[in-house]
Amino acid sequence: MLKRAPFVVAGTIAGLVGLFSFRSTPASLGLNAVASSSPGSGASSNAAAGTGGTSTGGTATLASPASAAGSGTRSATGPLVNYYFGVLSVSVTATGTKLDKVTIGSIQDGGNPLSASIDGMAIPQLESQALAVQGAGIQGVSGASYTSAGFKMSLQGALSKLGIK
Amino acid sequence: MPSSLTHQVEVMGTVVTLSLFDEAGLDGVRCESAFEEASGVLHEVDRVFSTYKADSPLSRLRRGELSLGQAPPEVADVLDLCRDAREATGGWFDPWAMPGGVDPTGLVKGWAAGRALEALRASGAHGALVNAAGDLVGFGGVSEHQAFKAGIADPREPTRLAAVVVLRGALATSGTYERGAHLMNPHTRVRESAVASASVTGDDPALADAWATALCVGGEAVLEHLGRARGYEALLIGHDGRSVASAGFELASDGARA
Repeated sequence: MLKRAPFVVAGTIAGLVGLFSFRSTPASLGLNAVASSSPGSGASSNAAAGTGGTSTGGTATLASPASAAGSGTRSATGPLVNYYFGVLSVSVTATGTKLDKVTIGSIQDGGNPLSASIDGMAIPQLESQALAVQGAGIQGVSGASYTSAGFKMSLQGALSKLGIK
Repeated sequence: MPSSLTHQVEVMGTVVTLSLFDEAGLDGVRCESAFEEASGVLHEVDRVFSTYKADSPLSRLRRGELSLGQAPPEVADVLDLCRDAREATGGWFDPWAMPGGVDPTGLVKGWAAGRALEALRASGAHGALVNAAGDLVGFGGVSEHQAFKAGIADPREPTRLAAVVVLRGALATSGTYERGAHLMNPHTRVRESAVASASVTGDDPALADAWATALCVGGEAVLEHLGRARGYEALLIGHDGRSVASAGFELASDGARA
């Protein structure tokens, strides 16, 4: 017996929520956004400061002093994180606490052409996907494997360097 | 007391996120201890099953340097699961058809997530969630009144979630947008996938993972096999963006709002 029910899913849960909602999100960001609407919830130990996450350094490249949080245009790069095909880091640029740009700061895939082509597709997707789930009231996203988790981890590191949480 | 705690573990070439929820408040000490336990489980799975570490028991088994009897017992457990999954999927999930010897990778991440989740029970939390880089499994919910919900990424349009489902047990997705080159049609031995992504819900995260792999490679043809596997449902998103789901696949009530 064939169980088959074709339908089109036209869901755009968050659509382009955009970069700007990051600043209103507590410690847990992006792809594993923990619902934090109820008072007292959302206490998270994040990768950078918490008990678990590990990172391999990171390069804070502030365009203007970190102490200037809340004003001016600043940028920071999160820690290098391992991902399935190599190592990457995420860079963010912010004006005040408003994020202007999220990009891949560096990516090292060992020169594997296969990996490079996958990265080429996956990275732009991840950049926006991390933004899309903000405020969607979900606890996780299925589908983005490997690269996404590293992306998120580095992103958190970059944001904490800018004092944006 | 916090009502949720999150812990990330860098392992298996990725990051696994462990989350605990209890609206009545979490016991921090018990949670940290459970996180440590779950983290240990994940690292042990990585040590045993990594195909990237040349000295892992699985790598040595693949090279014929180790017999199954000499390998840690969980290798046999996982290969038993792989055998079950191969049969259930009509051979569309077949670790023995992979190049370089038996490769249970398509099931191990889900299996590891399930074992990590069991370790989180010691936290005493109402709800727990393990997100092994896209393979999700949980028990309980955010609270007594709020179930876990999970998004399914749209493989073609990353600014969107293709769907949102209420998470009951496990949700696994296999997609070509990140791992396509690693998917192989076990029948033709060609690296290919029939659809852009396949997401599977069901009780067992290891089997959900295997089904997702099989469905991504074989597409709609594999839904027929899935129909005989009670409790597993799937959403396929084609390379052309068209979605097809098994009859029992349920979206969250607000899962398709535009």
